[in-house]
Formats: sequence, C-alpha cells, structure tokens
Amino acid sequence: METRPLISVVDDDESVRESLPDLLKEFGFAAQAFSSAEEFLMSKHLSETKCILLDVAMPGLSGPDLQRELARRRQEIPIVFITAHRDEKVRPRLIEQGAVECLFKPFSEADLLEALNAALRLS
Amino acid sequence: MRLKHAEEALRVRELNFQLIVESIPAPAAVITPTGEVEALNQSVLDYFGKSFEELTGWANSDPVHPDDLPHVIKVRQNALDRGETFEVESRHRRADGVYRWFNVRGFPLKNTDGRILRWCVLLTDIDDRKRAEAQLAGEKRLLEMVASSCALTDVLTALCKFVEDTSADCHCGVYLIDWSGPKFRIGAVPSLPATFNDPVDGLTVSPHVGPCGHAALSKKQVIATDLKTDPLWQESAIRPLALAHGIRSHWSTPIYARDGQVLGTFVIFHSEPASPTQVQQDLIAQVTHIASIAIERASSEAALKRSEAFLAQAQHLSRIGSFAWRVATNEITWSEQLYRIFEFDPHVTVTLELIGTRVHPEDLTLFHDMIERASSSSSDFQYEHRLLMPDHSIEYLHLIAHGTRNEDGELEYIGAVQDVTQWRSSEEALGKARAQLAHVTRVMSLGALTASIAHEVNQPLSGIITNASTCLRMLDADPPNVDGARETARRTIRDGHRASDVISRLRALFSRKDSATELVDLNEATREVIALSLSELQRNRVIVKPELADELPIVAGDRVQLQQVILNLLRNASDAMSSVDDRPRQLLIRTEHDADRGVRLSVQDAGVGFAPESINKLFDSFYTTKSNGMGIGLSVSRSIIENHQGRLWATSNDGPGATFSFSIPSVAEGVAVSAVVALTDQKPAARPS
Repeated sequence: METRPLISVVDDDESVRESLPDLLKEFGFAAQAFSSAEEFLMSKHLSETKCILLDVAMPGLSGPDLQRELARRRQEIPIVFITAHRDEKVRPRLIEQGAVECLFKPFSEADLLEALNAALRLS
Repeated sequence: MRLKHAEEALRVRELNFQLIVESIPAPAAVITPTGEVEALNQSVLDYFGKSFEELTGWANSDPVHPDDLPHVIKVRQNALDRGETFEVESRHRRADGVYRWFNVRGFPLKNTDGRILRWCVLLTDIDDRKRAEAQLAGEKRLLEMVASSCALTDVLTALCKFVEDTSADCHCGVYLIDWSGPKFRIGAVPSLPATFNDPVDGLTVSPHVGPCGHAALSKKQVIATDLKTDPLWQESAIRPLALAHGIRSHWSTPIYARDGQVLGTFVIFHSEPASPTQVQQDLIAQVTHIASIAIERASSEAALKRSEAFLAQAQHLSRIGSFAWRVATNEITWSEQLYRIFEFDPHVTVTLELIGTRVHPEDLTLFHDMIERASSSSSDFQYEHRLLMPDHSIEYLHLIAHGTRNEDGELEYIGAVQDVTQWRSSEEALGKARAQLAHVTRVMSLGALTASIAHEVNQPLSGIITNASTCLRMLDADPPNVDGARETARRTIRDGHRASDVISRLRALFSRKDSATELVDLNEATREVIALSLSELQRNRVIVKPELADELPIVAGDRVQLQQVILNLLRNASDAMSSVDDRPRQLLIRTEHDADRGVRLSVQDAGVGFAPESINKLFDSFYTTKSNGMGIGLSVSRSIIENHQGRLWATSNDGPGATFSFSIPSVAEGVAVSAVVALTDQKPAARPS
C-alpha cells in the first residue's frame, strides 16, 4: 500500500529524529527515525528502507559500523551519512566505502534532496 | 844540717799542701806556678778513678771532655801568665765514663811579698744545675716552635733529638694514634731507620703490638726493661723488629690530651737492658707534656683551617657572605665572599659609605632607613635590597642581622648576606615556563575542543535549518499545514536555545584569561566538561557514566583550570581505551566527599592501565605513553591541583585500566553559603542544565 520510498533516519540526536522525518515527508518520502544502529538493525523497516540517513558518531554501533554490518549481510541499502563533525578527511573515506554522500550538519534542503535523489537512482 | 833542715822544711811544706787539699771536702788540686800538678786530694782520685800519675798528664788524656779541653787549657794558661784567678765550666769524665759538669776555680797562693808560690784549684760539681739549664733551654726552644706554628713533625723531631742529646745513648720516638682505626702513625722517630719505622706505621693499636699498644690502651707508662728476656713481650709484634735493630729496652709513655684521651706514646729505646732513673722520668714527664701541647695545637689548628676552608667554600657555594658591624665605631668586618658579592677589592676597608656606592639608587632610602633603625635599637632585622653593579647589572641581596651587646655594652651586629639574584631570575623563569605550559595545554585542549564545539553547535543548527525548511514547505502547501508549521517553528526556537546554551558554556570556559579564584561547584563544572567532550568521547566509542555525589561541598579555585584538569583526565582515559575492543570502553567519572571536608573527583577507565614502575613518571613533564602526545597534560594538571592545595594521583584498578583522582579542600561552610549567594547574584541568568 505504501508506495512512497521509505527513508530511515538513524541518529542519536533527538532534534534530528524529530525534524528530519517531517521534512522528508514534505519531500514526499516515507520516513522512520531510529535512535541507534542496533534499533534499526532489529527493525522490520530494514528491508523496506530505500535509503538510510545515517549519523556517523553514535554510542554503541557507529554509522560506519552499521555500514559494514549491512555489507556483511549483503543488504545493499544506499547510505547518506550526516555528521556534525566537519572533518574533510572522513568524507572521501566514507564515500570510498560505498556511501552515496556525506553531508555536514547543518545541510541545506537542496543538498539533502540532491543526495536522496542520487541514492534513490541507485536503488 | 842546713840542707837537711831545708829538705825538712820543704817536706813540711809539701805535706802542708797535701794536707790542705786533703782537708777540702770537694775535689781539689795544687799546681805549681808553671802549671804542673803537685797535689790532688782523694776525692779527685776517686771521681776520676785514676792514679796521681795518670792525672798529671790530664791535658793529653781524657779526664776533660774533648770539646771543652782547648778552652780549659787556654783559660788556665792565661791565668797562670797573668797571675789572676780563673774560673771555667767543663765536663769531666767520671770513673764510670760519664761526663759531669764542673765549675773549676783556680786561685794563686802568694807569700808575703806577693810572689805566687802555688795555685789551688777547686772543682765544684754543677752537673745538676747545667742539666736543668740545658733542659729548660731545650724545652723553651720546643715551646717556641709550638707557639710559632711549626709543622708537628718538625716539633716532634726536635723533641726527640732534645731527649737523645740530654739522655745519652738512646733513641726516641713519638707515635701518634688515629683512634678511628685505631692505628699507630709515626709522629717522629728521627734516629732510627725506615726499616724500623715503616712496619710500625699503620699498625692497629692493640696490646699485641708491644709496650706502645699496652701504654696507649691502659693509659699507663709501660717499661720493657729487656725485650729479649722479658717473657711478657715474647709474642709482641715489635719484639723481632726491635731486636733486629739492636734495641733491647723500650719505655713507652702515653701522651695525654687535656681531656685525658691518649694522643700517642713517647718512647725511649736503649740498646742495652735499662730502666729509667728519676732524672729520666722527670725528663719524660716534661717532654710528653710538651708533645701533648704540640699535638693538640696542631690538630686544633688543622680543624680550624678545615672549618675555615669549609666556611669559605660554603659561603662561596651558597653565595652567602657574613659580616660584623660595630655600630659605635662603624667598624665593619667582611667575609671574603661578601667582597666577592659586592665586587670590592678585598684589601679596601669597608665603610657604610662604600657600601652605599653599590646600593641601587632606588633602594638607597631603604638602606639609610635600615642603618638608622639598626643604630637606634638592637633588635634583629632583615631586609632585601638591590645592588647596581659597575657593569649596570642588578643583584638582589637578602640580609639577616642579629644584634648583640659586647662586654663593653656596645651594640654589635653579626649577619649574613645572601645573593639571591639567581633565585630571583630562576623564579621568574619558572613562572614564565609554567605560564607557557599552561598556555600550551590550553591551546591543545582548544584544538581538541574545536571539533567538539563545532559538533555541539552544528547539531542544533542542523535541527533549526531542517525545521525551518519543513516549516516553509508546510506553509507553502495548499492548503497550508499551519499546525505542522507551528510545531516545527516551536522546535526551531528550542534548537536555537540549545545552540545558545552551547555558546554560554563555551564563554564560561574561555572568557577568563588569567587565573581567578571563585567558588566552584565541582559537579556543575564536571557536567559542563562532559557535555563539551561527549561527542568526542562517543566518537571514540567511550561510554561515560557520571556518578556525581549529592550536596557536594563548594570548592574555591579557578574554574577554567579545574575544568582543564577534568578534561585532561577524560581525554587520557579515552585515549587509554582506544585500542580496547574486547570489553566495553567504559569511563566512570565520580565526585564524592573526601576526608576533612574535601572533595574528590576520580576518572576510572577500562584501558590499558600503566606499569607500576612507571607510576612516578606519569606526572613528569614530557613523559608520555602516547605516540602523539607531548606528555605535558598530567604534570600541568598536577601543578594546577597543587595550586589548589590538593593532590592528584593515579592508581591501578583491580580489573583492567587505571583511575586518576584528585582531591581538593572545600571552603568553610559559612564562607561557602555567603559566597555562593554572591556568586549566584553575579550570574546574569541561570541556565538550564
């Protein structure tokens, strides 16, 4: 019944989990928020997810940890990293490891949309 | 008949002369005007042990000591030629071969018309007097040597020679005792060869040595009349040595110090078995007394020289000079070092005016004030002033003086002056270095913090922008989603506040540049540091567990510095766990009450820990176990804590990892309450925590 692509937001920051799904819905996507990588891995939404907006630094499993875990499970969901830690060295490394994009918080609506479109083209 | 009468008369006269000399109770002789011996009384014959015939040829034989003979002959001949009384002192050989001193007086016997008929010669034994005189002169010479600070060896050598001259046919020696051994040291044994002396030098003082050892230990004179036969000395170490050198008797007398300690022994050796006469005992008593004076004087002089040298050296090393100042006469005595400090020629006479020329112009008033005050009262004083040296350099001096009154009631100061220039400059350098270190750590923390700050600020900004975008989109929709827009706008405001909080925290952390003491709630300070470093810790997958005690007493201190310490401990703990993958990277930060109303904060990690042997080095500057660290953090942290009258230490955990803790005293309760009120009043606004 749900035809809109599901975007999952995985971030330990509450304000991100509150705000980002609303914007994604305004864009016309379906959105789900998860406070940790572990929660997302256990979720039934995992298989439906067309793209993950994934925080890099989180307690427990980090964003890259989740990326590796999904690769190990051969679940190739496009990932767009979002991080408040502006480290230019991190971005190319994450993209090299298969991420679609790495956005530095705060990012603009246009950048987010562009990254999502790129991700969805892949899936 | 006439001839017979004349012969008779002559015989009577001869008899008369013989009768006259025989009647004299001392040795006496009658000689003719030409000098031939005519009559000698029995005591002369007895003394010399020779016949009348033997003695008539005295001038060509040995009754008179050969050294005295020419003089005696000359004096006698002069008197005979002139017909005047003569008197001479000379040594005469007794029957046993001993020379004794005699006063020899000859006077003419004249007839009524003044013609000299005969000479009468009287011999008076003056040996005791001569000996006493010689002994006195010898002792006087020895004492003069002692008084004029001759070397001890020279004095003791002269002393031995004196005894050898006075008491015939003996060898003398002085053996000193070094009680730290105790060992014998040769003081002087001038007339015996090295083959006899060398083996004795350094011998341990014991009864086994021989009479010397006995005398030294028993503090009594020991007379070994015959080393060869006396069974007492059969086993003694000295015996074979002595016998090999032809020594048979050995008299050893202790030389006492004034306090009764034995300084050494005085020894007389004879080549024949012998025991001392009373005269010899008197001589021994006299010379051991002189030896004692000489030895004590030498050792006290050596001690004095040593202590003078020590003092000069100590003054030089510590840059302390000493002085004495007699106020009434303005007499000033300076130590060598003080001349050096002031760079004055050691030969100049020091006056207050001269000192004044070196005093820094800005300190002259202080200097004069000090002199005035010191002159008017006798209390101790100390002050610091500067010198302006000829090369325009500045020296800092610290002066301490003690006032006393001498026997005449005059005021006198004895004092010490220390050159503290180096301390001053090194203190300044140290302060500078410490400030630089503190700055370095601050900058290093800043670098690490910048990332955290950016993260903390970016997080709410991201929320704001996302919410604002959503809000616009909701309002642009047809129909506009006003409720949704209102909700997102509200979230925008909340995130804005959140960003503002972060900024406030940063301002609190960095606004104060210099050390400032204020009342600090350690829990609050800790929470701020955790909040600022949380993202960094999370990135390192560190799980922070704060356990902050309730009602923690307030401490007084520099909030920023204390937070630097906490931050440093957190980062160290995080770094220590960076290679840990087999267990949770758990970091426990705890505040609690400490003994004596103190406050303790500890940071416990589950990291690699440290080797027990390195515990003392952990706090050294530049000691680090990290490949990229400078190792300054812990040492600066410790100095910060110590500046807060606290201490910082490290312990190994029972399990993995280490715990770093510090404790600092809290402020007294009353003070805390009022000060906290004051502090809270100062704060512009309470912020949500």
